[in-house]
Amino acid sequence: MPRPEINMITFSIDGREVQAPENMMLVDAAKYGDVEIPVFCYEPKLGQPVGACRMCLVEIEGIPKLQTGCSTPVKDGMVVHTQTQRVHEAQEAVVEFLLINHPLDCPVCDKGGECPLQDISFGWGGGRSRFIEPKRHFQKPLELSPLIAIDRERCILCYRCVRYSQEISEDYQLVLQERGAASYVATFDGHPYVAPFSGNIIELCPVGALTSKPYRFRARPWDIEGAGSVCTMCPGQCNVTFTVRDDRVLRVLARDNKEVDDGWLCDRGRFAYQAIHVDERITRPMVRDGGELRPVSWERALEEAARGLGRARDGQAAALAGGGTTNEEGFLLQRIVREALGSPHLDSQRAPVSREALQAISDPGLQAEVADLEFAHAVLVLDTEPVDDMAILDLRIRKGVRRNRVKLAIASARPSSLDPNAALSVRFAPGGSRAFAAELVAAARGEQAGEDARAVVELLRGAGEDIVILASERVGAALAMLADELGLRDRAGAGLLVVPSSANGRGLREVGVLPDAGPGLRPVAEAGRDAAGIARGLADGELTALWLMGVDPLRDLPNRPAWERALDRASTVVAHASFLTEGIREHATVVFPAEAYAEKDGTLTHPDGRLQRVRPAIGHQGESRFTWQVLNDLGRRLGIELRVLTAGMALAQLAEAVPFYAGLTQDEIGGRGVRWQTRDAAAAFPRPSGAIPVPVPRVSETLAAEAAEGLRLGTFRSIWASPEVEHSPALKFLTPKQKVEMSPADADRLGLRDGQAVQVAQNGHAVSATVALRHAIPAGSVFLQDGLEEDSANEIAGSIVEVRA
Amino acid sequence: MSQKLLFRDIDEPGLNTIDVYRRRGGYENLRKALAMPREAVLNELLASGLRGRGGAGFAMGKKVSFLPKGSMDVYLCCNADESEPGTFKDRELMQKNPHLLIEGIIIAAYAAGANKAFIYIRGEYQLQADILDAALAEAERAGYLGESILGSEHSLSLVVHRGAGAYICGEETALLDSLEGKRGNPRLKPPFPANQGLYQGPTLINNVETLATVPIIIGMGGEEYAKIGTETSTGTKLVSVSGHVKRPGNYEIELGIPAREIIYGLAGGPADGRRVKLWFPGGSSSPVLTEAELDLAYDFDTMAKAGSMLGSGAIIVVDDSTSVVDVAYKTAYFYRHESCGKCTPCREGTNWTVKMLERIKAGEATPMDLDIMASVCEQIIGNCLCVLGDAMAMPVGSMVKKFRSEFEEEIERRRQEAWAATTTPEPELPLIQGAVA
Repeated sequence: MPRPEINMITFSIDGREVQAPENMMLVDAAKYGDVEIPVFCYEPKLGQPVGACRMCLVEIEGIPKLQTGCSTPVKDGMVVHTQTQRVHEAQEAVVEFLLINHPLDCPVCDKGGECPLQDISFGWGGGRSRFIEPKRHFQKPLELSPLIAIDRERCILCYRCVRYSQEISEDYQLVLQERGAASYVATFDGHPYVAPFSGNIIELCPVGALTSKPYRFRARPWDIEGAGSVCTMCPGQCNVTFTVRDDRVLRVLARDNKEVDDGWLCDRGRFAYQAIHVDERITRPMVRDGGELRPVSWERALEEAARGLGRARDGQAAALAGGGTTNEEGFLLQRIVREALGSPHLDSQRAPVSREALQAISDPGLQAEVADLEFAHAVLVLDTEPVDDMAILDLRIRKGVRRNRVKLAIASARPSSLDPNAALSVRFAPGGSRAFAAELVAAARGEQAGEDARAVVELLRGAGEDIVILASERVGAALAMLADELGLRDRAGAGLLVVPSSANGRGLREVGVLPDAGPGLRPVAEAGRDAAGIARGLADGELTALWLMGVDPLRDLPNRPAWERALDRASTVVAHASFLTEGIREHATVVFPAEAYAEKDGTLTHPDGRLQRVRPAIGHQGESRFTWQVLNDLGRRLGIELRVLTAGMALAQLAEAVPFYAGLTQDEIGGRGVRWQTRDAAAAFPRPSGAIPVPVPRVSETLAAEAAEGLRLGTFRSIWASPEVEHSPALKFLTPKQKVEMSPADADRLGLRDGQAVQVAQNGHAVSATVALRHAIPAGSVFLQDGLEEDSANEIAGSIVEVRA
Repeated sequence: MSQKLLFRDIDEPGLNTIDVYRRRGGYENLRKALAMPREAVLNELLASGLRGRGGAGFAMGKKVSFLPKGSMDVYLCCNADESEPGTFKDRELMQKNPHLLIEGIIIAAYAAGANKAFIYIRGEYQLQADILDAALAEAERAGYLGESILGSEHSLSLVVHRGAGAYICGEETALLDSLEGKRGNPRLKPPFPANQGLYQGPTLINNVETLATVPIIIGMGGEEYAKIGTETSTGTKLVSVSGHVKRPGNYEIELGIPAREIIYGLAGGPADGRRVKLWFPGGSSSPVLTEAELDLAYDFDTMAKAGSMLGSGAIIVVDDSTSVVDVAYKTAYFYRHESCGKCTPCREGTNWTVKMLERIKAGEATPMDLDIMASVCEQIIGNCLCVLGDAMAMPVGSMVKKFRSEFEEEIERRRQEAWAATTTPEPELPLIQGAVA
């Protein structure tokens, strides 16, 4: 569904001729003439207007009744009046009606001072009430969920939250109960409203009926400041505004950017800010002394780190970066490792993808933008679960399907939460994504391929030319070939959107935190070891020092047993970390306090190539420092002058080193970001030369393991599996527990029942879990969660497991 | 005087069975219609000038002609959610002559190009729904429903859907939401159902009586039908007369006869010695008329000119034994109870009006409350999402306007009564020994 064309028309409002886009709703078109029409229920993000609150009544010549401006599309020559006696009276009456049951408890209401009901009452209300009857009463406030409080007396029944739940997040939990003046908002089944995107209703609520529990009574609008930045908790990189009071982040609000997040946030992005201000956070440098990490001065920590890393010169040091590491930090890190330590061993990826493959899938000719998901003819989601991997895209895909009838195809090992919205869902065996992608390429070429792959290609081609492929990075080079076969090259509104394994995965690989590529994906003289290779090298004693930036391998990387061996043998482990997760707690020799994202200054690269600025909202808590500053100081001790005195200086160096970022400045990036593909420098991207070898599909990979072999293990990392969630008091209740998802058929065969405690074992390693039966899981596959503090799936290294009671 | 069309055979025993219905000429008009081209059927409907009998009085043929042409699914919904207080004509029609309705639906669907039709029947009409179900089965067996009806190219599936007891579901768009399985709330118009109705498809929605008239029009010809009644209110109309009359019930009248003829002539007027105080000409949602307006012609235009409406044709008569405050309260109470709560003026306005009337009844009001009530009603009318708010504000507003002096007297009387009830006579001072007087 291509983007609609915009046609400008002229209409008259309050006696002035105004130009506005045709068919735009009057309340929006009025803004082109600097006229404000008050609204409560109208919110274009929620889809079609409902015209429920009646606040926006205006007079249109030629129509006898007053019309709702929110639902009347503007036409050429329309004559609109918003300032006549009749309109004033009607609007005043609606304000009076809305207030008759409203408690007017503004002095104790969190919304007071930033409340549309207050503003509109002041601007359009009569300033008095003739209502002397008793008001409606409800028990209050109640927990709508552990995150949201509901005050039903304040509610003006505008339907926004209910529409959100029904039509945006599609969790269908919120409804209006009862009717007429007795109506109230509630969940359908009376259970708490817990959903990945529930917090958005707090921002949608035009009164103080839905308030954030963590923010309740923490501040008034006149003692807070807003600071715009970007959330670094997942590759979605949603734009946010931090609410800051007394140098503390008290709240996170969405900073609407249509190109990135469409104005929504997930609950992790909205509430995990709490982890910035908890006692468990590391805010002082530490050095292992007598087997224990003890707080030390920066001087001492830097000395220790320099000594440890210095001993590992000549290729015995290795570095890993992940999490919210910025481009600048990644760039400086690789400079030190490559130039000062003379080591090629760097990685930022969970699963190895070769430089050639990354070049192919990052090709500017093949890139889709986030908003294309909404306007494409078809979207293929391949080997990724948006809600877990890049949460905000889940809402965008739902929007496309619901409003623009985008045809959605899903190919994944684990059943997806988007399956009900998909025109076609196919399953492959866990670990079979590369093979399936190769099959898709074959199917697109008309060569022999499986039925599922053929069906997917047929659906995509049948839907239209604009196809967006949203896929996990681990699928690799086949994605580029598939995009080419489907004719997506240089096609506006179509292409690839590749989800990296960490929040700034794309930025890190483009600034050179890769074993086989330097800044700008340039080949390096000698390729280093990838993450798994580093683990082996450390365990073998070939490597001696490890530098971790925003990564705890025991938690974030596959194959924990190998990493345990590696960390046991490493003589130096330098870590930038916020929390003492197990790998850091047990193995780090030097710990630098990592910055919280609200303290950082730097840039990130969104999976669609948009560079965005992370800007400091608060000062550094405790003794933490800018990471670029730490790197600069450490570099000096290791014999390299990085000459970085500000984040901007690091960006300048980086823009010089990465040809396709050439000339980028913080000013150019600004508050909305800039996609590097749209700049002239994009021509300098090293387009791949020659064909990339695509793996030939092996049938055994695409089929579920035979029962005799055991069960094939797939893993996934839940949106809630992160230290920030565990350390945020409000979100803690969502911390996932390990469960093994399996099909009822397998459970029957093994004599297991839902909820039973089991061991999932392979080759001597076992994980405790409870059985979760899901009908949608194909027999022969089981799924465990990654990224947990305990019993994480990465304790198991192989792919065939047994499940036993 | 009156020509019986809809009620021609209404008291024929067994008319609800297909055999009796056919013996009386039933389904012949369907045969006739199917032999005509689709446009010809539509032209007959247009020529008849038949106006919707559900309340709005919109020309039925015009409604059909609004349906967009094209190869999409067109739906027909028969609105049998007859819930307006005072209206009970559709009940009798469905109970005694269900096949007339079914025949009408099939013909209307043919004219509209609809292949899927629904009868949305009020939940409380259990008996009538059962009768319709039985009649439907008979019609299906006889080949009047299903694929290629009577060998023509017209196919129709017809389903009886029972409501769950909400007045608002008689509002056409709320009916559609309810039919789709959602909470029955009115939708914003435009888009009108003719363009985007059931499941977003073009939808024709008509009242039971309207659809039941269709076979009659086909039978006698549209122009012939248009000769009955007045120029702009053609045909006959079923009127449900209730309230303070000697012979309440359904009567079929020719549109345009004086209202007095219906209330006094057919229904026998109020009890001896009583006078008509006020009457609702078109259900409880129509502004009330007074005794002085009894001689007005009972048709769409005259009623509209008198500031009221013909509505569903339900005449409720209130005689001078009843206080207007009680009538207003009963009316407002009903609409507050049935307000869906979606839009502000209706949800809050009906609630507020009831609370003010309660205060009048409790003797705690002043005449100033009448001004507030009038202004509240004024601000509801025309400013709501659907007409339910108007349905309370119009009659209550008209009562306050036309019977202001009676309201004021009542306020004063009840205030004094309440005062008398709360003020207990001062007790005599007990004599205490030794007390100094």
